Amino acid sequence: MKRFYLFGFLLLMGFDTLAQISFKYAGSQALPVEANLAWLLRVFGQPWVYGAVIGYVGAFFTWIALLKHAPIGPAFAASHLEVVSVMLLSIWLFDEHLDLARVVGAIAIIAGIVCLGVAEDREHHAAQTVAT
Amino acid sequence: MPAGGSISTLVAGLWLLNIVLDTGGQLAFKAAAGDRAAGDGLARWKYMASRPWLWLGIGSYVVEFLVWIAFLSLIPLSEGVLLGSINIVAIMLAGRFLFGEKLTRLRVAGILLVTLGVVIVGVGG
Repeated sequence: MKRFYLFGFLLLMGFDTLAQISFKYAGSQALPVEANLAWLLRVFGQPWVYGAVIGYVGAFFTWIALLKHAPIGPAFAASHLEVVSVMLLSIWLFDEHLDLARVVGAIAIIAGIVCLGVAEDREHHAAQTVAT
Repeated sequence: MPAGGSISTLVAGLWLLNIVLDTGGQLAFKAAAGDRAAGDGLARWKYMASRPWLWLGIGSYVVEFLVWIAFLSLIPLSEGVLLGSINIVAIMLAGRFLFGEKLTRLRVAGILLVTLGVVIVGVGG
């Protein structure tokens, strides 16, 4: 079961990463942002938005499969560790620079996600002990 | 393209809208997937398709999809995904109020750390 979770979480992270990279490419090519049909046509008129759709749909089905077995907390937390892969890829793909605020903020966020994962795990074991 | 301050207003508005849609969508999926009467396999999917929760979740996600594209096109991706982490906090608080999920001290610490990180990125960015 642990292997099932690990595979599921990695798959979720992969789909989420693909989606975020594609979202950025799709949005950048559809600028300027407008609340009208022209913007929608620009978004759906280039291939990147479909990479985002694949990532989104893949993440959706992985998420539903995980939710059936895993509690919402750790599944959600695991899905958000994609911030690490997306940040690293955005340096390489989009020439972004990680300033101090982003690095310190990311460390706090990741520490928070780990806290939430551990909290969920402990509560899960406590509930099982009570049940048996 | 709006100038100066109104860009950050647009970015902030898209960020807030994303929180509402993401939290609403996640809670709808939780309600759809957690229904014990749903059964298994294909029957499970048929049951979920006959109830509103799955469709409410999908609807929220479709709109969120567009909102997120617009949001990310206005700021760097590394900043955008970090600011989006606030959704974790929103979903935990919503779970606390709607499903009675407990907030232990460790969970509160996690929520505060994520919030602190988002504030640092938002103020520093």
